[in-house]
Amino acid sequence: MKTITKEILREAATKLMFKLTEEELDQLVKEFDIIVKQMELIGEIPGVDEVEPMTFPFECAVNYLREDVATKPVDRDEILKNAKDVVDGQIRLPKVVG
Amino acid sequence: MKYLSKSITEIHNALLNNEVTPLELVKAAIELAKNDTSNAFEYICEKEALEKVNNLDPNLKDSLFYGVPVVIKDNFSTKDIPTCGSSNILNGYVPIFSSEVVLRLEKAGAIIIGKTTLDELAMGGRGTTGHKGITYNPWDKSHTHLIGGSSCGSAAAISAGIVPFAIGSDTGDSVRKPANNAGLVGLKPTWGRISRFGLFPFATSLDHVAYFTRNVVDSAIALNVLAGRDDKDASSSFKEVEDYTKGIDDSIKDKKIAVIKEIVNSVSDKDVIKAFNDSVEGLRKAGAIVEEVSMDIKLLKAIYPTYIIISCAEATSNNANLDGIKFGAREPGESFEEVMINTRTKGFSTLIKRRFVIGSYSLLRENADELFIRAQKCRRLIVNAFTEVLKEYDAIYCPAAPGVAPLISGSGESLSDEYLIADNYLAFANMSGMPSITLPIGFKGGLPFGANLTSKIFDESNLLNIAYNLEKVTGLKDLVAKEEK
Amino acid sequence: MEFEAVIGLEIHVEMKTNSKMFSSGPVSFGIDPNTEVNIVDMAFPGTMPVPNKQAVINAIRVSNALHMSIDDTVIFERKNYFYSDLPKGYQITQQFRPIGREGYLTINVNGEDKKIGIERLHMEEDTCKQLHSWDFSLLDYNRAGIPLIEIVSKPEMRSGEEAAKYVEKIRSIVSFLDVSDGKMEEGSLRCDVNISLREKGTEKFGTKVEIKNLNSLANIQKAIEFEISRQSIILDFGGHIEQETRRFDEGSKETVLMRVKTDAVDYKYFTEPNIAPIKLSKEFIEGAIKTSPELAEHRLERYKSLGLNDYDSSLLLSNKETSDYFDEVNKSGANPKLIANWIIGDVQSYLNKNGISIKEFKVAPKHLGGLIKLVEANKVSNKQAREIFEHMLVEDKDPELYVKELGFVQVSDEGELLSIISELLDANPNLIADYKAGKDRVLGFFVGQIMKKTQGKANPSLTSKLLVQEIMKR
Repeated sequence: MKTITKEILREAATKLMFKLTEEELDQLVKEFDIIVKQMELIGEIPGVDEVEPMTFPFECAVNYLREDVATKPVDRDEILKNAKDVVDGQIRLPKVVG
Repeated sequence: MKYLSKSITEIHNALLNNEVTPLELVKAAIELAKNDTSNAFEYICEKEALEKVNNLDPNLKDSLFYGVPVVIKDNFSTKDIPTCGSSNILNGYVPIFSSEVVLRLEKAGAIIIGKTTLDELAMGGRGTTGHKGITYNPWDKSHTHLIGGSSCGSAAAISAGIVPFAIGSDTGDSVRKPANNAGLVGLKPTWGRISRFGLFPFATSLDHVAYFTRNVVDSAIALNVLAGRDDKDASSSFKEVEDYTKGIDDSIKDKKIAVIKEIVNSVSDKDVIKAFNDSVEGLRKAGAIVEEVSMDIKLLKAIYPTYIIISCAEATSNNANLDGIKFGAREPGESFEEVMINTRTKGFSTLIKRRFVIGSYSLLRENADELFIRAQKCRRLIVNAFTEVLKEYDAIYCPAAPGVAPLISGSGESLSDEYLIADNYLAFANMSGMPSITLPIGFKGGLPFGANLTSKIFDESNLLNIAYNLEKVTGLKDLVAKEEK
Repeated sequence: MEFEAVIGLEIHVEMKTNSKMFSSGPVSFGIDPNTEVNIVDMAFPGTMPVPNKQAVINAIRVSNALHMSIDDTVIFERKNYFYSDLPKGYQITQQFRPIGREGYLTINVNGEDKKIGIERLHMEEDTCKQLHSWDFSLLDYNRAGIPLIEIVSKPEMRSGEEAAKYVEKIRSIVSFLDVSDGKMEEGSLRCDVNISLREKGTEKFGTKVEIKNLNSLANIQKAIEFEISRQSIILDFGGHIEQETRRFDEGSKETVLMRVKTDAVDYKYFTEPNIAPIKLSKEFIEGAIKTSPELAEHRLERYKSLGLNDYDSSLLLSNKETSDYFDEVNKSGANPKLIANWIIGDVQSYLNKNGISIKEFKVAPKHLGGLIKLVEANKVSNKQAREIFEHMLVEDKDPELYVKELGFVQVSDEGELLSIISELLDANPNLIADYKAGKDRVLGFFVGQIMKKTQGKANPSLTSKLLVQEIMKR
């Protein structure tokens, strides 16, 4: 893991599509300092690296697959009513260049 | 209106005896909500509630929730009722569908009278970070103490006597902590027991629908309505739903209860310890076998950082849909990237953004082994340790917090054992999905404090049975913060 | 220097399920924007993904057809990135545990079979569609959430032709399994090519270039051939290949630079926590395979057993619809060879002439089968059958009805035929002698005369039989 700097965190924020102020970055560096130290302590707990990572709270066997039956779609005006810029039944964005 | 501070069963009987009508109850609750001084409400559903109560199906009369006014934390989707998760980024968002819990409550005849404040998008524990500012504790008229979060508005509304039931969500301790601070019963059932469909996700693998009542029986009544499989939530359990009120008052003779020594020791408040020890004695008198159990303190101290890493990582992904394009607030920009960046920069508060960076950074390929994956591994160790205890015991019993509601002016954060353990250990029940309930055990300086019981997964009946007996021991139930005149 | 191309393909196949990968929103193509969307597809807060059973069945069937090992636990991951067409800000995919692993398919190049290894097959969901105008873009969420299968080959192809053959085979598999339309032009089968060159005989891979947006088999082949020559020239002159993404320009038939690849994007994958792991039972997997629609190669065996030759079979199997049509007509019990001739001949030329596909062909299979049986039973002549067919193209009816309408009822009345025959024989005693002397063609003359007399309505086989019988009596 790299040493955490403001630059690294600024870039991480940019990838998350928001900006952070200098003060926010300063505070974040301090917070990271604590978190990284705590995680290092966790790394010293005996056996921690020998177990499998746990995603779900317990072995949940919900062996369910949805039947392939389509339901009635939502009315177009309804589905788009929360979008701020709608033209011809579609959401408008500044031109996407890609 | 005396009824709103009563239990669900008492209200139900009053309705059956025609002492009061659903319309009167709802009108009174809305009136109280309008005069709320705790900043508990995002939105009061006056028009919607009156319409619902006027069209209430009389066939539902026998349902215990029939005509009962309730509030819903504003991170649950409610059709045609604004829902913003107390975040500016969702200002103006009016969902076109309702959460499963909302549907179930409505089917049972409950009337939603308001959407309550929370820490922004449920990411906070103090009830101070919602876009409407601090939510106050009705027990503290000076407004110097927190009610705690993130389900702050729901806790405030029920403890102020506005409604007898309030839905919240619990990812770390977001119902069970405010329950401690507000003299309430806060239950978080097993992960998968109640459908999460419609709950704005914070950290999916830790998120639970949870709720507040003022006594344990009401908690069981509510679980009867809310529990059960929902095909819209792929993690919802097929496990059969029981009648959770049945046998709730059975004796707890010979039930084995474990007290984790290291957790109790991390609490410094002598009054809390005394009340806790008294309650333990009471449980013993009621026939339970209460024993002290020891746990690795390193593991207990690891709960909080593990929780932070996992919850922040999942949160950064769960909230990536908030980009201004499809719903919610939208800021202008020259390109779609600018629209997203401007919307998210302006829409999220600083705390949220910092948490997103922490989460995202933990997931990066070069960091994951030391942060996210390590946290997931540590989660397993923590869960294993508590599961081990519950192999021998019916429940784990500890103080729910270091004491009464802390001061608003305090920082909260520290690296002390008291902060890391007593103030934050409850997240173990989110990591393990175990059912967990907080209920009041004492008062100090006019403020309540509580203790917590946690049991094996899907063992809610047993948990509620022990909680009911504990309630009998303490005699603390149906607490409502009284307005000073 | 002599170079060898190293080519690997990534193919995305859009499934034609009824509902989407993780929502019950309907799947349909080419309809009004945003009319087939539900709350999950729009990523409204609180909506949750629930995987589609048919999509899993489809993935199992394709994996099986590609000889892959199938994972009995279905688990999904989130691929996190922001883009305008990605409603949730992440795509649900299978990064760590693809449902299918390690398989192959066999292509035939220059008469030789070659096995192409396949690394993985996984399920994921499609993004929404963007329509770009000169100063803004419009978003249509109909496509958002449509189930996809991604098939990643090993870098084992060496030429444009091999790549095109590989894609053609994949297309045949997914369409014969009813998994997808497999239409490249319409985007239901999308192909990205990874290509690098290395000196022949060496093992080390060269720098990889990705080619995107290839919308036909021909373009895949052309793009690869262009890219091989482009890279060869650069390498021959001592240059370096840049790691970049290119697209095929149809006008110039060249690949053009889209963007230079920088560091690989970190998608911050983690397990999708909304979907508890799904354990597939042995019965479920075996059932999906057992009930799987018949692949082209299996139909080929069947067609051969019906007596069709390789050439006819391959024409019928060139697309699933034609093959299905053949199978339907074949249910009528008509002679398979005759059916094949009709479909490859008259039906196909009608389709070509009108520029339509067999899906739009109006003649019901049972009617075509009936017509062929009329010919077989000598109830109508081939010529009459063609005339009836023309009428069926205008209005599809039971051919028997046309037989009556058009007055094609054959004279099968022995008495009537006998009187015509005796009249004819009486008038031509010399020809009877010729026939008896061995001049068989005399028979043809007599039949022709009888047909003339009956305006072609005489039953041909009955006529021949009676004619020979009467001649021998004299």
